[in-house]
Amino acid sequence: MHELGRILIVEDDPSDVELTLTALEEYNLANEVVVTRDGEEALDYLYCRGKFQTRTGENPAVVLLDLKLPKVNGLEVLQQIKGDEKLGMIPVVVLTSSREEGDMVSSYKLGVNAFVVKPVDFHEFVNAIKELGIFWAVINDPPPGSVKKK
Amino acid sequence: MAWRPGSKSLMAHIPTHSFWRAVAQCLAGSIAVALLTFGCFHFQVTPATVGLLYLIAVVLVSLTGALVPSLLVSIIASQCMNYFFTEPLFSFSMNHPLDFVALVVFPGTALIVTRLISTRRRAMDVLLVQASLLNLTHDTVFVRDTSDVITYWNRGAEERYGWTSEEAVGQVSHHLAQTIFPAPLEAINAELLRTGRWEGELTHTRRDGTKIVVASRWALQRDQSGNPVSVLETNNDISERKRAEEQLRKLNDELEQRVIDRTTELVATNKELEAFTYSVSHDLRAPLRHMAGYTELIQKNAPAVLDEKSRRYMRMIADAAKRMGELIDDLLAFSRIGRAETQKTMVSLDQLVKEALSDVRQDQGGRDIVWRVGELRNVYGDRSMLRLALCNLVANAVKFTRTRPRAEIEIGRADGKADEIVVFIKDNGVGFEMKYVNKLFGVFQRLHRTEEFEGTGIGLATVQRIINRHGGKVWAEGMVDRGATFYFSVPKS
Repeated sequence: MHELGRILIVEDDPSDVELTLTALEEYNLANEVVVTRDGEEALDYLYCRGKFQTRTGENPAVVLLDLKLPKVNGLEVLQQIKGDEKLGMIPVVVLTSSREEGDMVSSYKLGVNAFVVKPVDFHEFVNAIKELGIFWAVINDPPPGSVKKK
Repeated sequence: MAWRPGSKSLMAHIPTHSFWRAVAQCLAGSIAVALLTFGCFHFQVTPATVGLLYLIAVVLVSLTGALVPSLLVSIIASQCMNYFFTEPLFSFSMNHPLDFVALVVFPGTALIVTRLISTRRRAMDVLLVQASLLNLTHDTVFVRDTSDVITYWNRGAEERYGWTSEEAVGQVSHHLAQTIFPAPLEAINAELLRTGRWEGELTHTRRDGTKIVVASRWALQRDQSGNPVSVLETNNDISERKRAEEQLRKLNDELEQRVIDRTTELVATNKELEAFTYSVSHDLRAPLRHMAGYTELIQKNAPAVLDEKSRRYMRMIADAAKRMGELIDDLLAFSRIGRAETQKTMVSLDQLVKEALSDVRQDQGGRDIVWRVGELRNVYGDRSMLRLALCNLVANAVKFTRTRPRAEIEIGRADGKADEIVVFIKDNGVGFEMKYVNKLFGVFQRLHRTEEFEGTGIGLATVQRIINRHGGKVWAEGMVDRGATFYFSVPKS
């Protein structure tokens, strides 16, 4: 068994959450997944505040970040993470519904590690999630301070 | 209508009575001298007194009459003096040297006196005429002394301001017209003293209380030792012009404001449109993904409970979702082309065709296609847009030749105007009916059923939009089952 890094999913749409989890489960990647439902909650998680006050302070191995989010949107979350000394090294993958060039350019400018457009076709979607999960949670060595389970 | 000099000269209008006036003066002068002579002779006055009287007569005539009558009267008078009052009487004897002297001295003196007086009078006349000229001008002219007290006020000033010359003279001009200066009066006077002139715009209040704006010119008059004596002020009423300028400025301001408003509106609309397409691209695609995902999951998790028919329905739902996803993508791409700025450079069409072909060849899946690619040229345009247009056209040709065992696709240059390049893409595919040619380039317009040829109906609309944005044209020729040829033109520069 490979080491498995913790995946933080930031996604407001319950169906997307379910389908993403389904895809991850299919490849046994889902046991170290945290789901937050908006940008604020995601930041609360990362900064161990609010309802995540008691969690241990380790960072996820990767953040799968949607862009259209309530309260604090994905780009703002990305900016916050990449601008923070402690969080800046966490790999962030933007997982968005649409290939808006403006979003893509802004994301890369803010230092995103990958930009993935969710395919409409379910097989392709599952594939994309699987490959992302395998790459970021298994193959990739996360920066120091990240959770990686043996 | 322009006024031109007529055939009748101005001189023709001058009355001829000056001649008769001179004759009358001559007669009057002669009669006066005769009466004087007769009187003096009768009352036995001394020659000295007579001489004095003659001199007075000559001076009087000179002051009132013209030069010729004055001269005539002078000569007559002096000869009368000689003849009647210088010894010996009634003769022009030249016995005594004094006689000769008298003969020359009297007329000579008379002549000189007459001449001097009339010359001076003429100069006065000229001055008076010149002075009256100032009254003829429509401009407002007045003169004020160093304490700004008006000393002269022309007719133009009377008309413009409403005060007569009698009323105005003696008043302080700046008080009378309640002058508003564009700069402190001290500064204006300093410039006047330094340069002798000043020009500027003043606001005056007329006698009836109305305000006027005048273009004012001041000129300083100095005496022989250089001390300022008076100021000649000429004022032109420019109130009308000022009003027109003000109106024009207001109109301009309004226009500018309207442009700003419109631009703001347009920017707002554009922003809304962008937000709309952004929302479409995100929010419409998510439910589609879910539809596709869940139908797939049903098929996967409960294959046993689904019969063949239900499985087909599931597939249909998934296909429909996928197709709608493609439609949304194409539509967004199409709208993006309308909004994006074109970034024009010199683009090699040959290179773009190569790229388009390599894109398309990946999908042609072992089909037998004969490519004939001619040499194209460089054009000035947006590379990525032109590439998309060429890709769409080439893909179109590949798609609609699918039913052919051996497809033939030709790309080359056609004849066009001197300043443009015309490219054609010709295929031997299924073609189309020419009566539908206008529908080819419309958004969502399709000439084939989906079962025959898949597609969203946006490809050619995209091509047209791209070419239009380059200032070119797109057109097509075709026949059912005989293939189609698509043309586009792009300006060379």
